[in-house]
Amino acid sequence: MSTFHDSASGSQPYKDPTPLPDNIPKVQELGATSAPLKSAAFFIGAYCKEYNEDFMLCKNESRGDPAHCLKEGRRVTRCATDLITKMRENCLEKFDAHWNCLELNNQEYFACRKPERALNKCMFDKLGLTKTIPGSPQGKTPIHEVASPVYTTVQR
Amino acid sequence: MPVPWEALIPFGLLTSMFAAAGTLLNVSKRAQNQGKPVRYHIDAWDEMMMDRDKRLTGHVRGQSTNPTAPEGFETSSSWYTEHTQ
Repeated sequence: MSTFHDSASGSQPYKDPTPLPDNIPKVQELGATSAPLKSAAFFIGAYCKEYNEDFMLCKNESRGDPAHCLKEGRRVTRCATDLITKMRENCLEKFDAHWNCLELNNQEYFACRKPERALNKCMFDKLGLTKTIPGSPQGKTPIHEVASPVYTTVQR
Repeated sequence: MPVPWEALIPFGLLTSMFAAAGTLLNVSKRAQNQGKPVRYHIDAWDEMMMDRDKRLTGHVRGQSTNPTAPEGFETSSSWYTEHTQ
């Protein structure tokens, strides 16, 4: 018989009583937290496009079964880890500046355009990756390239 | 003619008490958020990410760019114990 133990009530962190069996290959999980991931998001989209699309299409056809897409999921994790490692090697200061700015501004992109421009330039020069926003309107400049946007923070 | 400066003492007291209460509240909120401003408009996605940050760093506002996760990370998720329909 098993009872549900609320994860907030224990002194030790929650430990899953039913981890993955050993016949499933293991992948090193990504240790980046939310602000660096948000900063690197569009570059992960550019660098890992095929693996991400593979995983999403696989999930689309699996109707909720987690075991169906484990291999594609491992590939996604490895690609994102690869990119974070490369970003740290090449553009560490600008990357740190951007995600620290995001952390001070409720993780909103519009508040941190200046560090973002520096990071985008560094990523383009060193790794050849550009940030493109999928679904942005065709004829107009994308919002991250607009010189004087309408919506900004209250204090500039 | 002497100015009735004693009459201004209550105003000074009120102003200083508002200032002290506001400052203490702000300091308390910042201290709970590791010196950063409070997160607002948090939706379910942000809650999930902050819970993941807590599993990775020990605090909901802790951040790191480490490409590898710490030791017990793979088994510390209580996602599958949450109520589902």
